[in-house]
Amino acid sequence: MAVDILLDGLKRLEYRGYDSVGVAIASEGLKVFKDKGEMSKIEPLIPRWNGQMGIGHTRWATCGRPSKENAHPFVDCTGRIALVHNGIIENHLELRKQLEEEGHTFTSETDTEVLVHLMEHYYDGDAHATLRAALSRVKGSYAVAAMVEGDGHIVVARKENPLVIGVGVGENMVASDVTAVLGLTNKVVYIQEGESAIVSADGISIFDAQGSTVDRQPTPITWTVEDAEKGGFEHFMLKEIYEQPAAIHNSLLGSLDEIYAGAVIPDIDVSSVKLVACGTSYHAAMVGKYVIEDLARLPTTVELASEYRYSPGTGECPFTVLLTQSGETADTLAAAREARRRGCRTLAVTNVVGSTISREVDHVFYTNAGPEIGVAATKTFTTQLIAMYLLGLRLGAMRQTIDRTKVRHLSTELRSMPRYVSGVLDRASQIEEVVEMLVDARDIFYLGRNINYPTMLEGALKLKEISYIHAEGYAAGELKHGPLALLDASTPVVAACVNDHTREKMLGNISEVAARDSPVLGIGVEGDRELAAITDAMIGVPRVPPILSPVPLTVVLQLIAYYVAKKKGCSIDKPRNLAKSVTVE
Amino acid sequence: MSRPKSMIPVGNRPILEYIVEALVSNGVKDIIMVVGYRKDTIMLHFQDGKRFGASIEYVVQDKPLGTAHALALAGPLLDGKPFITVAGDNMIDSRLIADLLEKRNGLTMVVAESDNPSKYGVVEIEGDRIVGLVEKPECMIGNIINTGIYHFPYQMIEMFMSQTFGKELGITQLLSKAIPEMDMRVVKSKGQWNDAVYPWDLVNVNAQALDDISQGIMGTVEPGVTLKGPVNVGAGTRIRSGCYIEGPVTIGEGCDIGPNVVIHPSTSIGNGVQIEPFSYIAHCLIMSNVIIGSHSHISRSVIGDGVRSKAGLFIPSDSCIVRADREVFQLFDVGAHVGQDTVIGSRVVISPGTVVGAGCRINDGVRVSGNLENKCVVV
Repeated sequence: MAVDILLDGLKRLEYRGYDSVGVAIASEGLKVFKDKGEMSKIEPLIPRWNGQMGIGHTRWATCGRPSKENAHPFVDCTGRIALVHNGIIENHLELRKQLEEEGHTFTSETDTEVLVHLMEHYYDGDAHATLRAALSRVKGSYAVAAMVEGDGHIVVARKENPLVIGVGVGENMVASDVTAVLGLTNKVVYIQEGESAIVSADGISIFDAQGSTVDRQPTPITWTVEDAEKGGFEHFMLKEIYEQPAAIHNSLLGSLDEIYAGAVIPDIDVSSVKLVACGTSYHAAMVGKYVIEDLARLPTTVELASEYRYSPGTGECPFTVLLTQSGETADTLAAAREARRRGCRTLAVTNVVGSTISREVDHVFYTNAGPEIGVAATKTFTTQLIAMYLLGLRLGAMRQTIDRTKVRHLSTELRSMPRYVSGVLDRASQIEEVVEMLVDARDIFYLGRNINYPTMLEGALKLKEISYIHAEGYAAGELKHGPLALLDASTPVVAACVNDHTREKMLGNISEVAARDSPVLGIGVEGDRELAAITDAMIGVPRVPPILSPVPLTVVLQLIAYYVAKKKGCSIDKPRNLAKSVTVE
Repeated sequence: MSRPKSMIPVGNRPILEYIVEALVSNGVKDIIMVVGYRKDTIMLHFQDGKRFGASIEYVVQDKPLGTAHALALAGPLLDGKPFITVAGDNMIDSRLIADLLEKRNGLTMVVAESDNPSKYGVVEIEGDRIVGLVEKPECMIGNIINTGIYHFPYQMIEMFMSQTFGKELGITQLLSKAIPEMDMRVVKSKGQWNDAVYPWDLVNVNAQALDDISQGIMGTVEPGVTLKGPVNVGAGTRIRSGCYIEGPVTIGEGCDIGPNVVIHPSTSIGNGVQIEPFSYIAHCLIMSNVIIGSHSHISRSVIGDGVRSKAGLFIPSDSCIVRADREVFQLFDVGAHVGQDTVIGSRVVISPGTVVGAGCRINDGVRVSGNLENKCVVV
């Protein structure tokens, strides 16, 4: 039955939104059920209608608060057309006014509802043509699926929002992400920018923006349904933390050889580098700045994608690297287009093969971390770090700013990284005990220096995301310019101190903090007695070259965030108000 | 250890995977794993079991309260059905499970003959009925031992679930009291059972597992490499020019071997391993992320995860006398066992029969023999 397949797929997509759920089934007319709340609460209420075709949606509120009325699918005034939509319709107010004047009745506050009424307005018996006509009126972004009572097919279209078709045997599926169709098929067709399609049980027709037919072969997917299941772990986040040794191994696989051979980045003349990203990826980019400047001696800047895209071009044309786990983040995609408009050579670092960004850039590096379901990024962040090291090594080798011995040394250490990370995971139970000192805090400061300053920003972000404790990452040297005033016995500090050239300064900063009575949790190289002596508790990580220390340190910080959130009873895989890849701007 | 013993790779696959295979090939597909220390490694490998044709559920045993307690924890998932118990870290083959299933009277134990029965539970039998069970007997009462593999009717689970567990309690301990009143029969199997208690057993179990591998090259083999017999090379691995590899040998993913490295049978090498030029490796089990410096010689040895050595590590094999568990063993031809994450300097010699613990540091030019505890520093 269609309804079971839909609900199963929606469960797998919950990480993209979960404030309301709805389905529409073609079963002697259109049957619709929708409500506010998480999948687990709504699922038992949904009637198991008999029907072979349907559409469903889980929502992450953008326009209109989470409510039953604002949940998708939407139906037109006659109840014959049902529609679901991801994205934003920018001119919905204007369209709504016109449609209301024509006598259409709106039942929600959403932008999406104008689409279904526009379809009603244009409907002439051909759902595909009607959808195209309706979409020609709207400004904005969309991945949309609609069906009309009595038709044996679903019509879909996309603009700046991901859309895939799963190719089955005697059945076909449409979804916004591959994970939804895992288990039903291992072949998908990616719908590309501006395209639309008609999908029925036995066929798929794809059309380009002009309406001519497109012939496209399905792409095999290597992810398995087990990858997207918890497999005995309490949370996806914990599973994904533990998957990191394997994810890093896979990320390096082949690329250590290839990267020097120029398979990812050819020999090009680079005079400066710009790294552009959002959220967690932005922190990976900041680590990348230290790595590239150290190894390749290239001036490197880091920008938030949402800022970069509205910034003025400066006439410089840096090698522009865009980091996005999903390859669908709207701001980063827009930044990629802007970078190309400015004439810059672009490289995307992404986890999803075939994602939109891979078609918007000159070169792609895939991090191969496998699907990540937990909203808080873990293995996709550490594999992005690996990508930064490989990029730094490649640029350094190309520009001969590092010698062969150093390249070899760092490659060897990278190859051992899964082992180092496994060494951190061995300490999980120690970390679980130690975080007791953080659980009741209202504010926590995360301090680091040099390359571990961004590491601590990421650590603070992880804690904020899932434990709802206010945490702030700070460059330790900046402490005296403000935050020192906020420290007291009730404000714990997490401080990173490794054996790099800033070690003495960092030890000094930690002493300053301890002098204000703040409880200090130190993270450093195992066996560091000096650090242990000045902190209230210390977590040791295996000794790695300082430039690589963000990787094991990050794993410690992930476990800290996880155990704090667990002790506080927070919803770890689905933190409130957050969704995984944000395809709205 | 960051691997439970059941996840030690033989032929580059964990011991537990062979057990799952033996069960599944006999139609035993519903498997409950009672997991504890580093359970993540087991759960990530097996997931829900679909990849292995099984349906696997997990039960977590937080405290090491013994096998009887583990069984009690699994009880609620048994669903009223008869069940088999197997230790997760004993190598078995499908024949053994087939023999166990053939006896259908419900209450059976697989037994084996042993040269060293004092390590095990010794079984006294009359006909094929078990009349006595003595755990680790101090004097010789027989050489028929309990393998810990049982077939139980469902009702037996109550005996375990009704216990209160304060300290470690094994299945055998619990059974030995009740056995005179029970009608438990023995199964003698020609199948494989090896519990690999001693480090030197591992290389042989490993060799056995490699017996039936076939050729498969996923990685890059440079020109000028000689491959003889079945050799497996994983994706992303590079075998550099001048290497001479004689199978059965299996090499994992993302390794860098050579140039000019000789690997003799039967050897398995894990993922992300680097073996530097002019080294000689024979009949070894090398786990993942190991670095072996140039000009090394390693024979009949087990090298744990993350071990790194500089140039010139010598671990020759020879016959020797080894003391372990207050016993003396005369061994014919063995190398050494090096525990995980141990760091070894250059020109180090490790004598045959040596067991080096985890996380040790061995400085340049040292000769090591006997046993080293974990985290030793040898200067």
